[in-house]
Amino acid sequence: MTIKLIGYAASGPTTKVIITLKELGIPYELDPPATYQSLKDDDYIKNKHPFGKMPVLFDGDFRITESRAICRYLASKYQGKYNDTILLPNDVHQASLVDQYISYESFYYDPPLSKIVYQEKVAKKFFDKDPDLEVIKENREELAKVLDVFEKLLEGKEYLNGECSLADLFICPNTYHVYCIDAHSDLWDSRPNVKNWWNRLCNRDSVKTTFEEIKSFWENN
Amino acid sequence: MTIKLIGYPISTPTLRVVICLKELGIPYEFEPPASFQALKDKDYIANKHAFGKIPVLLDGDYVINESRAICRYLVSKYQGKYNDTILIPSDVHKAGLVEQFISYESCYYDSPVSKIIGQEVFAKKFRGKDPDPEIIKQGREDLSKVLDVYEKLLEGKEYLIGEFSLADIFHCPCTNLAYGIAAHSDLWDNRPNVKNWWNNLRNRDCIKKSFEEVKN
Repeated sequence: MTIKLIGYAASGPTTKVIITLKELGIPYELDPPATYQSLKDDDYIKNKHPFGKMPVLFDGDFRITESRAICRYLASKYQGKYNDTILLPNDVHQASLVDQYISYESFYYDPPLSKIVYQEKVAKKFFDKDPDLEVIKENREELAKVLDVFEKLLEGKEYLNGECSLADLFICPNTYHVYCIDAHSDLWDSRPNVKNWWNRLCNRDSVKTTFEEIKSFWENN
Repeated sequence: MTIKLIGYPISTPTLRVVICLKELGIPYEFEPPASFQALKDKDYIANKHAFGKIPVLLDGDYVINESRAICRYLVSKYQGKYNDTILIPSDVHKAGLVEQFISYESCYYDSPVSKIIGQEVFAKKFRGKDPDPEIIKQGREDLSKVLDVYEKLLEGKEYLIGEFSLADIFHCPCTNLAYGIAAHSDLWDNRPNVKNWWNNLRNRDCIKKSFEEVKN
């Protein structure tokens, strides 16, 4: 039975899972919800996600929510099954360093980045509010400090832990949304290691094709 | 060589690791930093934590930081070595559900609890400010909604995935601080499944002992 992924291509968390599915060569079907509002329906909350969020993944009868948990599950179960791509190293020390970098992504990198995404992409389109320039400025400054740390961490490395891992893939969706805005691409482009790392990620097939899906979603919705 | 844990017991991330070490029966030495300021020294940032945070764990030459990553490392390497306690099941589906609840804790549960303890516990002590009642009120409202979901999720279960796991441990440190404030214990005590779950947790030996370290 094919894996079913409930979510929208434009959703950052859903996109993390799409990239991971593609990287591991896992066949899947994308099943977008009827509307954003339907995520709050009683039926959705009871049978899909108790907090009314996406993505949700069904693997036969097994249901799992929360993008990073879903991706770890996919790596644990399917890594090496469809291709040779390793996203979570088998060595316990290397795997834990990947976890450490996933934690950097979740708790230091993503928060300021998400706030910029919200102001620049979500506020107007979904809530008819103008972007709050103060919020954008504050979070650019915050993100700049994080990227300064990443610049050092990436010294002499192609990816955060040397080889591409879940930690690198997780930064892709929200970075794509903000990098595509001319006023913000400097955050990555002005730091040589970060710039190389981001370009390398953008050139991976799974990431490239998923970015096309995001672009297409925004154009058609 | 004994594992070394750099951190303070009052730090909720450090306490996650302390509970995990105790639950798995792993011997360790606790090493508080010289001061909070020491976390921003060039040497600390270069060799311990790139963002100047605690906790950091040293296992021989191996250095790892970020509490949830440290705990997963301890489980991967030492689960079953010192005792029979299982914190992440070997079954891939159950392990996936543990990760799901770990995500619920960090994405939904932690923020409102942190709002409450940020004001009630840390504002005066570390920032010399009085607690802000508006922030506390918002924290309580947000947490109530989350705990309503947990009440349903815990129906017929002692712990989040049924059996005790790392996901339950991760909820403990901040809950301990918030529950310990008389004005807020109702949030857990008013919901029978949540109350039962919290009582199960805080009565576990290792968790009880870890909470004692915070008090001291």
